[in-house]
Amino acid sequence: MGLSWGNPMTSGELRVRLFAGLREEAGWQERSLAHQSGMTAVAVWTLLNLGGTAPPATVRVAINHEFAALDTPLANGDEVAFLPPISGG
Amino acid sequence: MELLAAPFDPLQSLATWQARLRIGSPPIGGAAEAHFIGRVRPVASDGAPLEALEIEHYPGMTEGRIAAITQALAHLHDVAAVLVRHRIGRLKPDEPIVLVAVVADRRGPALRCCQEVLESLKHEAPFWKREWVNGCGHWVAGNTPL
Repeated sequence: MGLSWGNPMTSGELRVRLFAGLREEAGWQERSLAHQSGMTAVAVWTLLNLGGTAPPATVRVAINHEFAALDTPLANGDEVAFLPPISGG
Repeated sequence: MELLAAPFDPLQSLATWQARLRIGSPPIGGAAEAHFIGRVRPVASDGAPLEALEIEHYPGMTEGRIAAITQALAHLHDVAAVLVRHRIGRLKPDEPIVLVAVVADRRGPALRCCQEVLESLKHEAPFWKREWVNGCGHWVAGNTPL
């Protein structure tokens, strides 16, 4: 399974994005990752060594700009984002 | 709905929005309006004097969530119009962060919709705040109590 940094998206890849404190802890904001059938956000988190075997309970996941469950199957070309606690308004 | 990277005058924004509603075809109006203006607090969450507040967002998703929130709550409360303007970037103490305005036929729907839009922005729109004190930044891990 391949990882790349800052390369253009190609078919069969996922784009992974981090924000705010998560981005700074990881030291990167965006990566591309080869997609495999049945892959979920939890698998992406683990594969990218973001800490432990799953995101902390305070971290939410978005797939293609919509909130999603951690175990939602991902599709080719999906954008997966891990979102630390939100504080708008 | 608008995200703003520079300071804005909420009262001027409100007046411009009201004028646009009046000249619409058909004009949009109501007997009740509710408004909320949120400003940067002068102190950080630990009580230290705040140098600046930085607001990060998720381009694309933040706009989409705000549009979905305002449409859903406008429909739920049967209000005529909803305005949201929200700052991003680096803000100084006392600068406006957010303006929410609602036009409705009665005060109940206007006030309820305004509060629910604001609470949804705080919890369901991807914004993150970082407090700057003495040159050091600290990400805020949640929202202040209602």
